Amino acid sequence: MNPLVLSLLILSLGLGTTLTFASSHWLLAWMGLEINTLAIIPLMAQHHHPRAVEATTKYFLTQATAAALILFASMTNAWITGQWGIQQMDQTIPTTMLTIALMLKLGLAPAHFWLPEVLQGLDLTTGLIMSTWQKLAPLALLVQIPNLNSNLLIFIGLISTMVGGWGGLNQTQLRKVMAYSSIAHLGWMILIVSFNSKLTLLALSMYILMTTSMFLTLKINNSLDMNTLATSWAKTPILTALTPLILLSLGGLPPLSGFMPKWLILQELTKQELPLTATIAALSALLSLYFYLRLSYAMALTTSPNTTINTAPWRLKTNQNSIPLSTSIALTAMLLPMTPTILAI
Amino acid sequence: MLKILIPTLMLLPLPWLTPKKWLWPTSLMHSMIIALISLYWLKNSSEEGWTTLNPMMGTDPLSTPLLILTCWLLPLMILASQNHMAPEPLSRQRTYISLLSSLQVFLILAFSATEILMFYIMFEATLIPTLIIITRWGNQKERLNAGTYFLFYTLAGSLPLLVALLLLQNSTGTLSMLITPYNDLTLTTSWSHKLWWAGCMIAFLVKMPLYGVHLWLPKAHVEAPIAGSMILAAVLLKLGGYGMMRIMVTLDPLSKEMLFPFIILALWGVIMTGSICLRQTDLKSLIAYSSVSHMGLVAGGILIQTPWGFTGALILMIAHGLASSALFCLANTNYERTHSRTMLLARGLQMIMPLMASWWFTASLANLALPPLPNLMGEIMIISSLFNWSWFTIILTGAGTLITAGYSLYLFLMTQRGPLPQHITALSPSHTREHLLMALHLLPLIMIIAKPALVSGWFA
Repeated sequence: MNPLVLSLLILSLGLGTTLTFASSHWLLAWMGLEINTLAIIPLMAQHHHPRAVEATTKYFLTQATAAALILFASMTNAWITGQWGIQQMDQTIPTTMLTIALMLKLGLAPAHFWLPEVLQGLDLTTGLIMSTWQKLAPLALLVQIPNLNSNLLIFIGLISTMVGGWGGLNQTQLRKVMAYSSIAHLGWMILIVSFNSKLTLLALSMYILMTTSMFLTLKINNSLDMNTLATSWAKTPILTALTPLILLSLGGLPPLSGFMPKWLILQELTKQELPLTATIAALSALLSLYFYLRLSYAMALTTSPNTTINTAPWRLKTNQNSIPLSTSIALTAMLLPMTPTILAI
Repeated sequence: MLKILIPTLMLLPLPWLTPKKWLWPTSLMHSMIIALISLYWLKNSSEEGWTTLNPMMGTDPLSTPLLILTCWLLPLMILASQNHMAPEPLSRQRTYISLLSSLQVFLILAFSATEILMFYIMFEATLIPTLIIITRWGNQKERLNAGTYFLFYTLAGSLPLLVALLLLQNSTGTLSMLITPYNDLTLTTSWSHKLWWAGCMIAFLVKMPLYGVHLWLPKAHVEAPIAGSMILAAVLLKLGGYGMMRIMVTLDPLSKEMLFPFIILALWGVIMTGSICLRQTDLKSLIAYSSVSHMGLVAGGILIQTPWGFTGALILMIAHGLASSALFCLANTNYERTHSRTMLLARGLQMIMPLMASWWFTASLANLALPPLPNLMGEIMIISSLFNWSWFTIILTGAGTLITAGYSLYLFLMTQRGPLPQHITALSPSHTREHLLMALHLLPLIMIIAKPALVSGWFA
């Protein structure tokens, strides 16, 4: 893509999210979301491949619907209360509508159906942006709303963790696996937002870290499905040895960093007298762990000198800068001892 | 405590910085030095209290024998792995030793933790290196299934434990093991309290394993390479027992109502798994089921919550750790020569490896709990405390002892006695390394006879 156009689109992407972060008026927040959507559409369709264009169309339709719902909900609140403040939205009907709109925007169950198909149509870099950057603005709005309906949010959260777990079990395409992983992690974030929104932001930051590591790893290996992943031992042996750590961190196993948000969320849920919810959420994380484990089996734990399911790939030198990946892997694996620091924030 | 922990942490970069020629000798030497230094933990300054106490870690007479067993086992694992790792590329050998050392670090932190949540995190942390050892370096394709069973059985039990511990922290404000014995929880028989009790116990029961949720163990033990089998049998199962002992002090008096099915399951498991052993054709599988059988007895001893029960459980844990690990090493000597675990293929070995036969003999005697070995001490104390609770249990435990003797004898006679088959007359003789390995397993076991108070825990 023309570098000028690319920089314009990336800057617009940043502008949109920043606008939503900085706003206290619903209209401005909605504008930021729309700028975000508009900026990423050309990025998604840049390869002009029919599959990419299909993904772009599906994304546009869902995001436009969600944005329209947000506008409608905030307008309803403005009709009732006469003001457009984000943190002063305390009517139940607009709040519920807004929650559902943000559910659609983020890709939470039961409005998650678009996410795997959209992610599958994207290349890995755009997929990374979709999974990480695009979640920031809607979640920033969600944590600011007062008086969220905790029953609805717990329902959405539990359903998302379970859908994310069960949905990913039958996938071999890695982008779809990452989509279901996104649904599951967002479910964990939503579970806790009505009780302690700081933990939502912590879970979001840990999720962004782990997903970045995973996508960058896939990019270096240039692998889009599990079979290609199985040949990565020949291309990048050290990265192959480290990827199980990323995957198990995504699964939330101690002593890796991915355990931190799960632990703190379970702690908050038990403090709120919801131990059954906590147990169900914890056990549904085991579903996701199964497919992460299967990926690490395929990639690193079953290498042998002479069995590849795929044809041997060209071992080309990559231009990709490895510093972001090495930093993010180090953080993905070793941040758990920082938990007391996080708790103090 | 840091005297041992920091050298063990330094064992992680050690293999990467050692030249190839000295890789295995230096790893062995350094881990052996750490093991010998760890013996100073045997001096506990108070009968029931904590020694070497700092804000995060401490040792007490319960954790000390298990810590020393863990530290002792690392050089033995390195010694045992030397042969089968020799054909592998150098970086994989280095990764393997680092993996064993990282497991060691987590185990030391687990046994010396004074906060139950720290114990929990380290308990879970031991799963990852063990999973990698089993699935990456196991020898058959079944190892993937074994790793999955291992991980998911343990996690399905331990995630409710996490929720239960967080609930405990909310209600008492602390999870420090120095304080939890003095908790006054006034537990009732309401459903929520019963579920909380079950949440606390199930993780450790799965880990022990209790018969009924033991299915992961034969798979994991059989598919793991020798170091994996050793650490699993000797130490990782004891994590379950240790955790149970620590958490039980807070769970009274609800335990009296809740324990019946678990004690019965444990004792029935002793008989059932013992009977399975009598019909096994796979050598490692036999030793794995015998582990389940012994740990069933340990579970019974812990669940009965008497001083003799706890003491017997701890003694049996240490003795079983050494004996079971010794048996796995012996099975490995067979496996390295014949690349098969089938007992029928490698029998009558006394003819060609007579000195190894004496080790087989001692290890089998330890397994069947011959006096004066500590195995018997542990078993007698557990059986007596169970008998004191209810005289019916003597039927189960007595039959269990009989069956244990039966399959241990079967194991010995099958592998050592009888005619040597024609196809294995050309097996290579025993290495000195293997004799050293067996000696280092069985001599401590025999030495414990002289002072059982060392491994008796709180009630020495």
